[in-house]
Amino acid sequence: MNLYEGMFLLDNNVVREDWNEAKATATGILEKHGASVTTARRWAERSLAYTIQKRNRGSYLLVHFEADPDKISIMRRDLELNETVMRYLILTCDGVPEGEAELHEAELSADFSVPEPPEDHVVDSDEEEESEEGEGATEEASEEAPAADAPAEEAKAEETPEAEEAKTEEAEAPAEEAAEASEEQTEEKSSEEA
Amino acid sequence: MARPVKKATRPCDDPRLDYKDLETLSKYLTPQGQIHARRRTGYCSKCQRELKQAIKRARHMGLLPFVGS
Repeated sequence: MNLYEGMFLLDNNVVREDWNEAKATATGILEKHGASVTTARRWAERSLAYTIQKRNRGSYLLVHFEADPDKISIMRRDLELNETVMRYLILTCDGVPEGEAELHEAELSADFSVPEPPEDHVVDSDEEEESEEGEGATEEASEEAPAADAPAEEAKAEETPEAEEAKTEEAEAPAEEAAEASEEQTEEKSSEEA
Repeated sequence: MARPVKKATRPCDDPRLDYKDLETLSKYLTPQGQIHARRRTGYCSKCQRELKQAIKRARHMGLLPFVGS
């Protein structure tokens, strides 16, 4: 038997209904394969760094458990198949960290309640398309006015390292040329009209 | 023969880097989400590997971005 640390990303929709039920699905899979859970506690509820399974928020469960090393691969397969567990991470660990047992005990007490997870803005495919169109429109606008773009690039260059500064300088030069060229063209046109 | 001494920002006997310690890890990411190079972190090869491992674990769990916003 080895000691492991497991982190599970749980679906907020299940957590909203009942935290203990969501927790039990994860720990249940571990116990099904002969693991003994030492501590299990809510680690955080936070917004994800990127969209996972069309969700932008999730609840994290931190578990320390003892298990047979041969059973870990079977646990992994079960966790992959489970829909409540969106992501998981199982690592070996030397010992249960200090304070972890107290937090586990605190969660078992009767007056412990899980705050309601905030509403998740689920990204639909339609919305994505709309936002892409919006970006395209702004790009077109910037192409039409290359001279207006130049100050923005200068501002960027101040923030970014030297390597990128060189790039933006190169980019500015053709933009200015283009602006001059367009001015010449308009002058020619006006002279023709006259 | 004296070896060239590298300026280390973190002594190797410090506590190990943990994937849950997002405050520390996010210091070693560029705004685009890339991990800082050795010459920027000043870490020895062992510590740099530890840093890489911790950041990649955090990324897998959706705690840190693969690509910055």
